[in-house]
Amino acid sequence: MSKNLVWYGELTDPKRLTRRGLFFLSPGMLWLLAFLVVPGLILIVVSFATRGQYGQIQWTFTLENLKRLMGFSLFGWSADYLLILWRSIVIAFVTTVVSVALSYPLAFFIASRPARTRYLWLTLVIVPCWTNSVIRTYSWFLILAPEMPFAKLAAYFGFISAGAPLYPGMLAVYLGMISLYLPFVALPLYASVERLDWSLVEAAQDLYASRYRVFTQAVLPQTLPGLSVGIILTFVPAMGTFIVPDLLGGAKYMLVGNLIQQQFGSSRDWPFGAAISLGLMLLTMVGLQVFRRRGKGMEFI
Amino acid sequence: MRKLFFAFLAVSLILFSTSAVLAAELRFYNWSEYIDPEILTDFEKETGIKVRMDLYESNEEMMAKLQAGGVSQYDIIVPSDYFIPSLTALNLIQPLDHAQLPNLKNLSAMFTQAAVDPGNKYTVPYQWGTVGLMYHKDKIKNFDPKNPSWASIFDPSQDPGPFLLIDDARVMIGIAMKYLGYPFNSAEPKHLKEAVELLLKTKHQKSCLGFEGGVGGKNKVVAGVAVAAVVYNGDAMRAVEENENIAFLVPNEGSEIWLDSMCIPAQAPNKAEAYKFINYILDAKVGAKLANWNRYGSPNEASMPYIAPEDKEDPAIYPTPEVMKRLEYSLDLGEKSRLVDEAWTMVKTR
Amino acid sequence: MNRSHPFVTAVAMLTLAFLYLPMLAVAVFSVNATRYGLTWQGFTFSWYTKLLENDFILEAAWNTLLLAVFSTIVATVLGTILALGLTRFPWPRRLKNPFDIILHLPVVTPDIIQAAALVVAFSILRFFSSIFEAGLLTMIIGHITFQIAFVALVVQSRLVMLGRDIEEAGRDLYAGTRYLLRRVTLPLLLPGIVAGGMLAFTLSLDDFVISFFTAGPTSVTLPLFIYAAVRRGVTPEIHALSTMVLLITVILIISTERLTRK
Repeated sequence: MSKNLVWYGELTDPKRLTRRGLFFLSPGMLWLLAFLVVPGLILIVVSFATRGQYGQIQWTFTLENLKRLMGFSLFGWSADYLLILWRSIVIAFVTTVVSVALSYPLAFFIASRPARTRYLWLTLVIVPCWTNSVIRTYSWFLILAPEMPFAKLAAYFGFISAGAPLYPGMLAVYLGMISLYLPFVALPLYASVERLDWSLVEAAQDLYASRYRVFTQAVLPQTLPGLSVGIILTFVPAMGTFIVPDLLGGAKYMLVGNLIQQQFGSSRDWPFGAAISLGLMLLTMVGLQVFRRRGKGMEFI
Repeated sequence: MRKLFFAFLAVSLILFSTSAVLAAELRFYNWSEYIDPEILTDFEKETGIKVRMDLYESNEEMMAKLQAGGVSQYDIIVPSDYFIPSLTALNLIQPLDHAQLPNLKNLSAMFTQAAVDPGNKYTVPYQWGTVGLMYHKDKIKNFDPKNPSWASIFDPSQDPGPFLLIDDARVMIGIAMKYLGYPFNSAEPKHLKEAVELLLKTKHQKSCLGFEGGVGGKNKVVAGVAVAAVVYNGDAMRAVEENENIAFLVPNEGSEIWLDSMCIPAQAPNKAEAYKFINYILDAKVGAKLANWNRYGSPNEASMPYIAPEDKEDPAIYPTPEVMKRLEYSLDLGEKSRLVDEAWTMVKTR
Repeated sequence: MNRSHPFVTAVAMLTLAFLYLPMLAVAVFSVNATRYGLTWQGFTFSWYTKLLENDFILEAAWNTLLLAVFSTIVATVLGTILALGLTRFPWPRRLKNPFDIILHLPVVTPDIIQAAALVVAFSILRFFSSIFEAGLLTMIIGHITFQIAFVALVVQSRLVMLGRDIEEAGRDLYAGTRYLLRRVTLPLLLPGIVAGGMLAFTLSLDDFVISFFTAGPTSVTLPLFIYAAVRRGVTPEIHALSTMVLLITVILIISTERLTRK
């Protein structure tokens, strides 16, 4: 005999509720299971397979791909791949930090505008967000070209050879990444900043708190929801990005995204690509946990 | 609600049928900038078959696409010689029905008896060429065209200015091998290690702008972003046409000679159209039109009378016997190709 | 607070300039009458006219639109039902946690891994039916997969905000489930659904990585087209195309704001 209960004002029993719940839940869940979870699991399995002679998958299981990821290749030990993973984390981290640092002034600025013009400024931030990332990335080719003053300045100081463009290179990659991901931090952050209770800030100031403490104790905690959304929307894609390093880094500055893309593309080494994906996934999880410890309450726009 | 659903269904059916309609169509998967667009329109006019061309920059890219499902989506591919054994081993291409290719007789004997596919069971030669250095005559530094050496790019003390390497594993490693004095196709771990180190040192030079496909490299030199690039000879010659200050040559240590051929993937959707196209390309005049636009060497004997005389004399397109001695074909390395692939990954990643 | 510290203003302005500088450069050079190099050779619209004559670009634009519209509609429907299913039913903790994790997966997984998983999925499915050849269908499936999660999350937050009262009131007045949904929940939810749909639409339009791995020869989209062209060498036609995409984006944003301003 199933208990009757009142749920949302409706008198019903758990079985009927569960049935109806499943009816709602299943289309979406099944889809996600079929096209994300199960393939993901298969991917994990593939990471233990071997690459055949001509690039096909051979189902002989081995830990070799993971070993190779750790650096034990046919040519002896080298920290290549770990280096790439490390480089990706650093770049993602720096990009996120710089984007956050630049987004706060931007968000405050927009929040300080009269309500009429706020939409205008917001639109200015949204437009790059909606614009295609390939376009936004390759447009740096023009700014960093040899004829432009920036490249000429760098050549004058000897950073690059005369007549060379400022790409491919670390600087170009950072510029591309920051300009790509900044709006993704700015918008959620602005959503939080807009709802900021300025009385708390004033109270802190009244109590003679230093500027720094006003920020960290009155402003930061209130903006945390928006900040955490922004960080996740930046850090995760930045970890796996491959357009920016591909176009602006050339083959000189490989990141994890390029590496994976290369394995599924010209190297035709799906097992190794899967192994790297596994590594990337683990790292992303770890990175997110670190960020998440500092922020509670995920709220979406 | 129901009405909405049916309206949605109807609209989506209409939209999909318009985009999925396939008239007689040929799906041609080719290298970029590798065919005169006029040839495609001429073919369309003559046969009514619409040609849809997709482009790739390297054999590996083409192979990856085939293995990821392209084998049943493309009708013609154009792989290089050393890739044919892998393609046949993986059953990715189908044997050709010579009855449908009457123009096969136009080919020169050198290419019908090519070691990689004697008798043209699977392949029909398309173009052949070499790899070398393309450069701006007036902007390049530390370079002597009369005594050209790969040291210009490999030796850091001989900085030519911003340069590009070609994004092709076998070619770049092979050139490094030639420079180090080893055979082009060597896959000895010891040699590979040296080649990898050389390429890494080169890549990290201030002047090296990284790796680009042949066409990409050529375009960057023409745009003035780079001063020199390792490219295929035909791409370079087309740039020379546009800009007199650009030149091309094969340095002394040697380089690669290659042959590209047309093949039909194992599950090609439009076989009949594919045969018509291949036969069309084999025609004497069309073959000449192809070579005259591409500026590559033509394997078509019957086309020779129609090829531009300046091209026939140009050592960049038809190398002198002396240069030919320094050129080697890339060979299929079988099991050792894994070593080369790993070596290349190392070059790209560090 | 209606004033802003001059330092904050300056940084904000510089940041905006930084964001727009590259795109302005593209717009400027799209009307530059030179094929190579960056010296100013005179004003011209010829690159734009060449664009409109290019069949491939028009086809890519059509594909992009078709893909976005179709996948957004399906994903919005599926995502909304999913959100309803998750928040409106008393699931025990041990079920709710895995559900939440699965829901958040597309958001926290780098899209290249999602793309790799899709490639694996389709190569297996291809054994069973040739309908899964790389092409528009596989792209749509790929897009829907990540769009569902985003829509569901947006709708979910709105659902949580709505609270129980109105629905309880409806039940008290003997409303049946279907009626309740149609007349109460969904209309209240509409802003959230629209927001989720808009988000999904944007994500689809701009998507590169997943499209890259699931596209076939006949289903090139604009991002893919531009990427392939840029790798071979940037031409002014690409600048013209990019500027046009930018303008259309601006128009889309402004019209979206008008629509959701109510």
